[in-house]
Amino acid sequence: MVVVTKQICDQLSDKEIVKNSLANIDYFICLYYRYEKRLLHYIKRISGISNEQAEDILQDSFIKIWQNLNDFDQRMKLSSWIYRIVHNETISQWRNEKHYGKSKKVKFEENLSKHTLYEFDNKKDVDKMEFYTHEVLYLLPMKYKSVLILKFIEGMSYQEISDVLKISEGTVATRINRAKKRFLKEASENHISFNN
Amino acid sequence: MKSSKTIVDRIKEKRVKQLPKWYFTLKNILNWVFFSICIILGGAAFSVILLSIQQTDFDLISHLSHSSWEFALGLLPFFWIVILLTLLVLAMITVKRSKSGYKFNWTRIFGLSIGVSILLGTLFFIGGGGHQLESIFIEKVKYYDSIQKNKMRFWMRPEKGFLAGTVNTVDKKRFTLDDFYGYLWEVDISNSFVSNDLEIKKGQKVKMIGKVTGLYCFKVVEIRPWRNNYGNSFYHERGDPTK
Repeated sequence: MVVVTKQICDQLSDKEIVKNSLANIDYFICLYYRYEKRLLHYIKRISGISNEQAEDILQDSFIKIWQNLNDFDQRMKLSSWIYRIVHNETISQWRNEKHYGKSKKVKFEENLSKHTLYEFDNKKDVDKMEFYTHEVLYLLPMKYKSVLILKFIEGMSYQEISDVLKISEGTVATRINRAKKRFLKEASENHISFNN
Repeated sequence: MKSSKTIVDRIKEKRVKQLPKWYFTLKNILNWVFFSICIILGGAAFSVILLSIQQTDFDLISHLSHSSWEFALGLLPFFWIVILLTLLVLAMITVKRSKSGYKFNWTRIFGLSIGVSILLGTLFFIGGGGHQLESIFIEKVKYYDSIQKNKMRFWMRPEKGFLAGTVNTVDKKRFTLDDFYGYLWEVDISNSFVSNDLEIKKGQKVKMIGKVTGLYCFKVVEIRPWRNNYGNSFYHERGDPTK
């Protein structure tokens, strides 16, 4: 048995981790070390669920990642592939929760005063802005929320988003445009303004 | 509370098995095999459509006083068009569901699928595949509406100005004709346009555009050979649908 420490993991590239994990499961922990925080945040951002639930989803996702590790296409980025599995698992569980009315999503109005004025950084484009408030995102449909989070919070390229969501890059571009418009509309309706 | 270490422990405890590489490879291969089958069969369907187009005298449209739409729609091989479209849809869904299918938009996938089907269909048609497939369907499928039957039905509408059959006795500008339903017609071809490749003689199958002038009397405007393009051996073996 190999004791795989964080220090050992840090020296390995994503592809080396996959290769080593396929030969020895103990190396699989490296993926967890590397992506745990980012993925936990991502799960919470797109679903609005509690930390505990997000951890459960993450654990289930990592089991799926392990099961399907042989399906990983070396031509794509490992992070995109992992995000895809986590995204699908989150959506699946989020839908179930929604279906049974157990969603713990906090409504916008409950979290923020309707009269609060959020002012964003003065930058040329919305796509360069930091999203200081996630509550507006929660108001958006999942398909818009996902692309905005992946693009502007996770900082992914169109190609990476395309790989995560399994949609063409053209569709990613269109969806981001529509999502931005919808975001601004929701923000405006909820008295959040942007300084241009 | 779960620590990051538990993930490997959990996998070990639950004895979660990794899906083998061959499973994904096989899945991928089967996906592309299914796509190829759809495209090949689509090509075969297209070859019969080409055969049908070849059988249709589209140049007659300009001669017709009837609706061009009626003419075109009357001879369209709907059965094969539906088959081709169904196979194309299946092929497109298969590509979209493949491992990297999401990278292509529907227009591109449609273009690829229809392009390959047309190419294969044209090659099948040149190689006689359209005839073969049509003949197999005539033989094996009981209610199959063959191109010839469809064509015959179209040309056997004297009230609409279309008549076809076999020349019986010939007398200068008149001849008698046994239509494909067995009725005997008196046909007048004076002042009519006779196709260059037609010699009016006993036994010759013809199709005509004109009008009914009396009881089983037909005045021809244009007359052409029936031209089935199936060759004599085809009918010798399988029987002529016009008989």
